[in-house]
Amino acid sequence: MAGLTTRRRVREALTGYAFVLPAAALFGLMGVYTVAYGLLLSFARWNGFTKNWLWVGFDNYLDILYRDPALAPLVQDAAVNTVLVMVGVPVLSVAAGLPIALALNRIRFLRTTMRTVFFLPYVTTGIAVFYAWTYVLAPTGSLNAVLGALGLGSLQQPQGFLGNPSTALPTLIAVSAWSSIPVAILLYLAALQSIDGEVLDAARVDGAGNWRVTTAVIWPLLRPTTAAVVLLGLRDALQGFQVFLLMTNGGPGGTTNVLGLQAYKWAFFSDLRPTLGLASALGWVLFVAAVLLASVNLRMLRSRT
Amino acid sequence: MLKSPHFLSDTEVGGHVRTRLLTTRLLAALAATALLATACGSDDDAGDTNSLEMWTFKQAHVEPLKAAAAEFKEQTGISVNVTAYTPDDVFKSKLQTAAQSNDLADVFEVHAAGEDFVLGGSGILADFAGEVDEAWHGQFVAGVADAGKVDDARYQRSLKPEAPDAGIETGQLFSVPYTIGTFGVIYANKSMLTAAGLDPANPPKTWAEFIAWLQATHAKDPQNGGLTVGLNSPTTGFNWMLQPLAYAYLGKEGYQALFSSDKATAWGSQNGQKVLDLYDQLTPYWMPGTQTLSIDDADRAFAQGKAAFDLGGTFTLAAIKQGGMDPADVVYFGVPPAEGGASSELGLAPLALTGLSISAQTEKTDAAVTWLKFLTSKEQAAKFAQASLDLPGTELSADTLGPDLGAMTEIFGNADDGAYDPSDVSFFAPAYVDTQAGETLIRMSPLGETDAAATNRELGSIVATSWQG
Repeated sequence: MAGLTTRRRVREALTGYAFVLPAAALFGLMGVYTVAYGLLLSFARWNGFTKNWLWVGFDNYLDILYRDPALAPLVQDAAVNTVLVMVGVPVLSVAAGLPIALALNRIRFLRTTMRTVFFLPYVTTGIAVFYAWTYVLAPTGSLNAVLGALGLGSLQQPQGFLGNPSTALPTLIAVSAWSSIPVAILLYLAALQSIDGEVLDAARVDGAGNWRVTTAVIWPLLRPTTAAVVLLGLRDALQGFQVFLLMTNGGPGGTTNVLGLQAYKWAFFSDLRPTLGLASALGWVLFVAAVLLASVNLRMLRSRT
Repeated sequence: MLKSPHFLSDTEVGGHVRTRLLTTRLLAALAATALLATACGSDDDAGDTNSLEMWTFKQAHVEPLKAAAAEFKEQTGISVNVTAYTPDDVFKSKLQTAAQSNDLADVFEVHAAGEDFVLGGSGILADFAGEVDEAWHGQFVAGVADAGKVDDARYQRSLKPEAPDAGIETGQLFSVPYTIGTFGVIYANKSMLTAAGLDPANPPKTWAEFIAWLQATHAKDPQNGGLTVGLNSPTTGFNWMLQPLAYAYLGKEGYQALFSSDKATAWGSQNGQKVLDLYDQLTPYWMPGTQTLSIDDADRAFAQGKAAFDLGGTFTLAAIKQGGMDPADVVYFGVPPAEGGASSELGLAPLALTGLSISAQTEKTDAAVTWLKFLTSKEQAAKFAQASLDLPGTELSADTLGPDLGAMTEIFGNADDGAYDPSDVSFFAPAYVDTQAGETLIRMSPLGETDAAATNRELGSIVATSWQG
């Protein structure tokens, strides 16, 4: 009897392993293998084509962080831009997303339509939209035309909003925020609908006006949602570079280069120089930064809720 | 106890059912695994010697290549399937991944005199020096025929740690020239020139005259009368304008010394300052926003009448035509030399832009060589030139090339006679990165964030650093 039970368990286990095997193999191939490959690559010098990797230990990390006078300044400039994006995008997402969500939560007339309109940037964001933005922001684009028509000629940018180094990065931050605000609205709307109406009623009975209810009751209750919005914005800013690649390619004159874009350039646009290891090392530095940010965020969430 | 209809006990029946279930499950799991493996696999026709696979990174070349393939099939019975992978990074990624999975095409069109050596040194491209006999070699334009061949200087450079083409050997041949051209060609809109009171039949002979032309068209139409180039690719201004300008002004030795480790003559020196002062004269006349445009965008903007001048290469004519502008409405000339410099005339030496290569993994080398010989024959090269407006690497008369391309060859000069040769990079430090130099130059012109002196110092620093690598 015991033997039968054992055989049955073995069969069931084998069956289970057989079913898990394809997924495990796929994960092993696509997950563990690629992560390990990327990690190893960060300790090597390779251009993606030569037969052998040249092992350089921690040189890639040290070179990009401070040691190489040609590479480190690139990373430092890109890091400054990345930090500005990491501050700008989440702040704009919260600053615009929350008021819009509050308004959408209160209106009755055309509520669904308005929600759809505000969510459009998220579902349409992509290459075509970013190209459309470049036309809007060009010297002869519609934004300059509108400013001129409104008598705000002093705000026009003769070189275009992406062609002027002092406006290029803020403009890209605004475009990035434009595509992330819909998610913030969605998260805030969901959180607002989960707030117990009795809590708000109690505050009003105690004499609190709309502003007071919003700042003293709703805002604290939305803190976890705000943390999530900020975290998402930080993650996008740290790792995303699609907007920067498509709209400026880091220009003009390198003024909008960010860390993700720099890694991409080292991986694919270095005239086949052996810089894949640098790209990988920078990727791992970004990964560590993201983990640190996430853990800080998690700690903040736990301490406030 | 009654036996079951199959004369088996309940336990035995249960056991068989479980066994069948187990077998079925295992088979299902195996089938799923097999399906996955099949999905990840290749469906190429590696064994079919009557078909070839060709990859290119030039979308504009696909149709002319397909037309040639149709004729090739008629003549030889060998079919060629042409696929474009664009842009460049996608093409390189495709090569990289296909090489690792032994799934490469048989023939490639690659960037010549650079990429071909990197791929050759990596074992992706075959060395087919033994296949190129005198007759075939003699068909190519003089000066570019050996563009895909490893000479001793290139081999020596490949031994340096930062060199991307490690693994090459002197005498190996990894490509034959397919298209040729040169950089530093300025295109001008004839109508705009005439409107500004300029004579398109007499293009500027000196840098000062060119600046005067720019001044005239810009004064006539400040919005659309400027110069454009795709500065979104930061090296364009540096490589296509500044370098030929410096070459003509300082002479070959002075120009090459700008990139040397000798601070007295490299960027940062008086020589660098003089050249940058000349280049800075362009600053007021750039098309607004040109620093945000890609090379294609800039060519399109010129074709749409948004700029009076377009900086590019011989290959730009095709892009202008694609943008909808009649090549007859365009006048073109090489970057004119500055007065008081080493040269009063500047020829631009042709270089191989793309080359045809054979995979090191293919077993169809004979068919591949036959296809390459067919593509580079005079007849096919002429058809390709007329279809693509790209200059072929095969020597053709100006009449055969047609009026637009035929006149273009007049820009060419011979490097041995002092013409500027963009393909000569033997004097650069292996770690020199032209992107950084290009971005530095953009900050001076058109952005005007730095002056010539600061730009000169920064370029000096970039070059000095490149020699430390």
